[in-house]
Amino acid sequence: MEYPRNGISALAKAGMLLCALLVTACSHTVRVDGDFPQPVGQQHPLTVGIFLSDDFRNFTYQEDSEDREEWNIDTGRAQKNLFETVLGSMFTETIPLSHYPQDLPQDVELVIVPEIRELQFTMPRETRVNIFEVWIKYDMHAYDPQGGSVASWVITAYGKTPTAFLKSQEAALAQAINVALRDAGATLYTGFARVPELQALLANKQRALSMKESGPAEAQPTE
Amino acid sequence: MFKSFFVISLALLSGCTTVVIDEYRRSDGELAEGDSVVILGRRHSSDYETEPDLIDCVGQELHDPGRGVNVIAEKQFVDAMYPWFEPRTAPMHVRSLDRLMEIPDVRKRMEAYGVKYIVWIDGSTETTASAGSIGCSIGTGGAGCFGFGTWDKESDYEASVWDFRDKELSGKLSADAKGTSYMPAIVVPIPLIARVQNNACKGMAAQLQQFLLPAHGSKS
Repeated sequence: MEYPRNGISALAKAGMLLCALLVTACSHTVRVDGDFPQPVGQQHPLTVGIFLSDDFRNFTYQEDSEDREEWNIDTGRAQKNLFETVLGSMFTETIPLSHYPQDLPQDVELVIVPEIRELQFTMPRETRVNIFEVWIKYDMHAYDPQGGSVASWVITAYGKTPTAFLKSQEAALAQAINVALRDAGATLYTGFARVPELQALLANKQRALSMKESGPAEAQPTE
Repeated sequence: MFKSFFVISLALLSGCTTVVIDEYRRSDGELAEGDSVVILGRRHSSDYETEPDLIDCVGQELHDPGRGVNVIAEKQFVDAMYPWFEPRTAPMHVRSLDRLMEIPDVRKRMEAYGVKYIVWIDGSTETTASAGSIGCSIGTGGAGCFGFGTWDKESDYEASVWDFRDKELSGKLSADAKGTSYMPAIVVPIPLIARVQNNACKGMAAQLQQFLLPAHGSKS
């Protein structure tokens, strides 16, 4: 028996469409596009290079465990915006680096490299609380211009959204991630100077600056 | 004619709500011309979150420049003061404001806004009980729903009023609202919704206006 060519093609197309529909019915895609405000406060007197790797800029979390539906959560763009905005406001000068450790500009005193370590989320039906919750953990690294490690510290962030606020699971999760990213920015901003190694670095820099400022003034009367 | 019929129908078709407002006042309202009020929701609890739409509602109800009440929108203020009013960093006590004001840029921005009062609202609206069932069916002769559903909602909010300039707690307000909504369905479901959160918002906004303005009610 011979099937007409066009008939098979239409049947195949319909089958493929059905398969695609069945696959996408169980998978969720979330793209987080957050814009974040600039922090208000004093800037640290440092020239800092910021290196956001391609993995970091394009980060997508994929969840495909047996007891959960498939989730693809793209937070790359939002976390890039967050770190560029927050780190850009924290220091007197920031230089975005496209390569590291190559081609490092001369005046850079510190290079900051964030890495995402973990992203976790819970859904209301898992916790029996009407809240979507998200936890994000970042490994932060600070290097000197020679590439030596100055400090490493961890930022943990938490965000939640009550289910009543939103229309879909995807929208609720995206909002919870945005809240978690804002929290990450707050922790980064308020916690930077509390890291002991960075605290010492900032104290040395302040001391050097105050000596530089007071140096010529003190020298003048003796001349 | 049609308008009044529509309003009467709406009034009849809404469920009943009771609102109880309590007030504890430590000092009289001192809101003067050019002063601003910030209304913020507490979001630090692990099992509930003060709804942003409740905060917007109180702000919109309270905002009355003609009477000297100028409210700064929550998102605008929290973004402008980032990251100092985030759930993790927001001051929990009036005393903590002193430490925040040690940051010159923060102090300047607060002064530029002319903030006199910060009102923190903490609480939520929850569905406490529900009963009944409604079934809908569709056939060749048409479609229809039959049944009866009812649910209770409760709002429980507390507002703490901080005097930003004097760095003291001016007082507290609480709003408790309860209401039952009904949904009879005879072919078409007819929702009789009790606007519990909305009534709590209006009650709280009205009380806050009395609280914040000077006793004689005129601008100073």
